[in-house]
Amino acid sequence: MNSERENLVIIEILKRGYRKIFDENWPLWLGGLLISIMSIITFAWARPWGVAGGLRNWGDWFFSLLSIYQTKPPSPLISTNSILTLGLLWGALGSALLSKQFAIRMAPPLELLKGVVGGILMGIGAAMAGGCNVGGFYSAISALSFSGLAMMVGLIAGAYVGLRYLYWELEHLPSRSVGATPSEKKEGGFKWLNAEPYIGTLLLIAAIICAWIYSQHAYTRVGVLLLCGLAFGIIIQRTRFCFVRGFRDPFMTGQGEATRAVAISVVVSMLGFAALKWTGLRPESISVVQASWFGGLVGGLLFGIGMVVAGGCGSGCVWRAGEGQIKLMLAVICFSLSTSLFKTLIRTSKGFADLMGHRIFLPDYLTYKWTVIVILFIMTIYYLAATWNEETDRFTVEI
Amino acid sequence: MVDNITPDETLDCRGLSCPMPLLKTKKAIGKMKSGQIIEVLGTDPGTKNDLPGFAKKSGHEYLGDKDDQGFTRFFLKVR
Repeated sequence: MNSERENLVIIEILKRGYRKIFDENWPLWLGGLLISIMSIITFAWARPWGVAGGLRNWGDWFFSLLSIYQTKPPSPLISTNSILTLGLLWGALGSALLSKQFAIRMAPPLELLKGVVGGILMGIGAAMAGGCNVGGFYSAISALSFSGLAMMVGLIAGAYVGLRYLYWELEHLPSRSVGATPSEKKEGGFKWLNAEPYIGTLLLIAAIICAWIYSQHAYTRVGVLLLCGLAFGIIIQRTRFCFVRGFRDPFMTGQGEATRAVAISVVVSMLGFAALKWTGLRPESISVVQASWFGGLVGGLLFGIGMVVAGGCGSGCVWRAGEGQIKLMLAVICFSLSTSLFKTLIRTSKGFADLMGHRIFLPDYLTYKWTVIVILFIMTIYYLAATWNEETDRFTVEI
Repeated sequence: MVDNITPDETLDCRGLSCPMPLLKTKKAIGKMKSGQIIEVLGTDPGTKNDLPGFAKKSGHEYLGDKDDQGFTRFFLKVR
């Protein structure tokens, strides 16, 4: 075989790989599994995965620039919260470009308003629950904090209430279409869509260079967290992994696929976290937030309503904003501002902070062994209930 | 395959994002007769996963989709 032909074979293999990753759909369960693996790696490397903390940091930073806050927040460039969320946005944008799925997508006025209201509700809910669906639910349950389970109940109830609102809206306030997406409409001239994969590749390479620059300035921890965020963004964009669907779909269409993916993901991540904490490799108090139970439950309820109305949760808003959806960009902005303000309110008022509840680390009450068994049991029930509902439509709400 | 389909109803969901295209489709299908075809126009990439999944779950037949200028046409046959 001559070298020219060998090169052609290599190019063909690379093309196949590209299509496999950025053209074909990945199954949801794979998304859940990959997210749980990344969640454990991120915790082992530095800290648990979160999204709302990053949005809050951006909100804090904005208000301190306006001199509304007296104290300066950590710089968004070195805050681990901010870097993880930035990585998520960066990865989702790069992945959307590589998949030719990026486009600035305008939405009708009512949808934009829902982005704003949903974002505000999520911001308040996340401040109360000590995190969004990621930090307050996913990572909190993984970290064996009771608040995560309280938020789970709130999220399920909130998703139901939010869906009821959407049904009401369908009957009374029909949203109108805004027509085709303008950026893809042009005929002739520069084919923007064909250039997207190249821009996406450059963006991902730029992220790796940024991580390298961080490590050159003795911020290796932060640099690798940027790459972790990037991986979350790519995985979530490619699998369209959606926590909202996990909570909403059983009520909306009766589908249980997303719920099962969330349950599997939480279990694997929890086992990894339990191993890291149980063996003393990571402090037990990490991600055990002061939100058990009122903050978790009521914060989860508000967050659940907000995420269904906005059409994206903490991670969902960020990655869909990375795809160019204006409604979700508005949700991200309103989320970051409202969560910053509400968290400040909770921090500065002792009464408010006490109302949110206590820090409850489940192994303190149940031992590690029983905590793991109880969470496994709850997630198995959740998994089975979603599958049972898929067959019976017992919980499905008809329009 | 979807080129020669003449839909009975067309639902314009362009600009709407998840879950609105799916909910509107679900509602529109409720008013249609068995065997009729609905065409859904959408711009949200998520719809390419949502509609086939919904069709599979609810027993409607997903006939396929076709990219147009800046949006996608989806075709479903009512159960």
